[in-house]
Amino acid sequence: MEFAWTEQDRTHRARIRALLASALPADWQVIARHGPGSREQTLFSLSFCPQLAEAGLLVPHWPREWGGQGGTVWEHFILGEEMWAAGEPRGPQYMNVNWIGPVLMQFGSEAQKARYLPPMAQGRAIWCQGFSEPGAGSDLGSLRTRADRDGDTYVLNGQKIWTSYAGMAETCFLLVRIGGEKAGKAGIAVFLVPMDSPGIEVRAIPSLIGHGDIHEVFFTDVRVPASARLGEPGQGWTIISAALANERVGIPRYALARQVLDDMVGLLQARAGFADPVVRLRAAEAAAACDAARLLVYAVIDARARGIAAEASTARLAVIAADNAVNDFGMEFLPECYHGDGHPALLAHHERAIVTGIAAGAAEIQLNLVAQRRLALPKGA
Amino acid sequence: MRLAFNDDQQMFNAALDQMLGAEASEFRTVAEWGRWDYGTALDATLTENGFFDAAREETLGPVAAAELVMRIAARPVVVECAASALLLPLLDMDLPRPCAVIDGEARVVRFAPEARSVIWLGDRPRAALLPDSAVTPGETIFAFPVGAIDTGALDWRDLAPDPAMVRARWQVALAAELVGALTGGLESVLTHVRDRQQFGRPLGSFQAVQHRLAADAVQLDSARWMVLRAAQTGGTGDAALALGHAQNAALRMIYDLHQFMGAMGLTLEHPLHRFTYRAKMLRTALGGPSAALRAFADNYWGVS
Repeated sequence: MEFAWTEQDRTHRARIRALLASALPADWQVIARHGPGSREQTLFSLSFCPQLAEAGLLVPHWPREWGGQGGTVWEHFILGEEMWAAGEPRGPQYMNVNWIGPVLMQFGSEAQKARYLPPMAQGRAIWCQGFSEPGAGSDLGSLRTRADRDGDTYVLNGQKIWTSYAGMAETCFLLVRIGGEKAGKAGIAVFLVPMDSPGIEVRAIPSLIGHGDIHEVFFTDVRVPASARLGEPGQGWTIISAALANERVGIPRYALARQVLDDMVGLLQARAGFADPVVRLRAAEAAAACDAARLLVYAVIDARARGIAAEASTARLAVIAADNAVNDFGMEFLPECYHGDGHPALLAHHERAIVTGIAAGAAEIQLNLVAQRRLALPKGA
Repeated sequence: MRLAFNDDQQMFNAALDQMLGAEASEFRTVAEWGRWDYGTALDATLTENGFFDAAREETLGPVAAAELVMRIAARPVVVECAASALLLPLLDMDLPRPCAVIDGEARVVRFAPEARSVIWLGDRPRAALLPDSAVTPGETIFAFPVGAIDTGALDWRDLAPDPAMVRARWQVALAAELVGALTGGLESVLTHVRDRQQFGRPLGSFQAVQHRLAADAVQLDSARWMVLRAAQTGGTGDAALALGHAQNAALRMIYDLHQFMGAMGLTLEHPLHRFTYRAKMLRTALGGPSAALRAFADNYWGVS
């Protein structure tokens, strides 16, 4: 057991930090204020990701065939940690790198791989994830957007909601139910849908989490060729499971939270507000929450590096607690920083923190999974 | 970053589990409403087989020693292990075990009635042999043997290692013991809620129960990793954080464990109290979570 980084990992991290230091502009915190899905940050990703690609730091963990270097699990993870801590300058493109690309490699046709992977590896592809629907959030298996076969094409009808990045995406990773299939996971398929297809309407939903981040997407008689289907009809759930396995622990949110906590302590120290033992205690508790999350996430990554699929919901819950602990600390002891725009880093973290327990599998779903998988408790009625 | 036990540590853990699975470490009630059961036989087996020397072995080290403490403390019988496994190997003198540690008042010292040596923490850490004549056994509601130590009657010798290092190591040891006790309590409650039927279904199938135990497991798992990290790095900040985090987690968890065990957990015929009452005492050790976490804050961010 060794909790220190290897020389190789330290060098890798230093390279990423050096690149960030030179590539992020002076007003980066303002750009990053509204999160990876905002228009500003998405546009920025189109100039930043090609630089990453140039430096071999966009898809280092991908196989060489698709522009990667066959890097290690830890190298991939360190990259994600540093990017999130920097405010995620890859914008929505982190999805391509982490799971859309790898899932296409696993399930895609040769034509799909040739069409979609190179732009991803060059840092020029914006995707959105068409999963949730008005009637299918946590219960994703009950989704109703449907695809009906008509000769060599499919006709798509239905509605997606809370879709991040849809406003600027070129392609949607869309989950649908094949026409005539019963409710449940078995009838689900994945389509790769160009967002400029006739019949797609995108509407931004004003929200607490950033300008233009979440959307409603309406599909009305949208025609796509059968070749736009990823894998077989009914293979959708297997594909999603593979995607989720790639994203097992989710975003390393504690990395930004821990950094913002240090900023908060700095602000308090500058105004002699850190002498109060209660404030110090609460700061330490928030730091403990970040470290708890970090260690549980590392345990999952370490298992993965050894080829073991570890239960990850425990880590996800700790990440949620960490983001909230830091946000709660700031809002209690530095409330004035949440007015105006003088503290973009705190505001940006706030917007990210309030999403943590909801996006990509609500906290309560994670608690169910921990109860069943980690604690072997009987499934609820 | 490599978070698996090495081969020697895995063999060590497996051998340890064999000893801990023996009948001698099982729960049995104690006469006269006794709240603790010193595992004399287990203590002897572990000592004879050299388990408490793990921290001195290069391929086992403090990580294996911390794991040892966590696993022993998860058993219903109680054995002095934290000081033996993690403090004694740090010292340049050969002290007999069991070893009591005065880390607060000398009138209530855990394991004093069983101990053959004592370490006195503080600005000037010292150690002494502990004859029975210097100990007055005490009464307590906590599930440990405790006693008062007549410090004036002992022949103290100063310890060579840096006091901050000794203290950090003791924080790790206490955190490991606390995580172990909570682990034992959680296991015993999990068995109960899987089996116990109410309203025609197992208690553990209710989300009201599942979610709280799941949240407890998150805290416990992370506390366990913090213990292992602090044992491995030897850092003072890591040690303070490990103890503070475990002590913070204990409060909510002790409540939940008793809630889900219901009236059965109020009896001395069920082992739950052994774990929770050890945990209740350990969560106040060295000033409790606020002291440990503020020490972390001082260490990390500076004093003001």
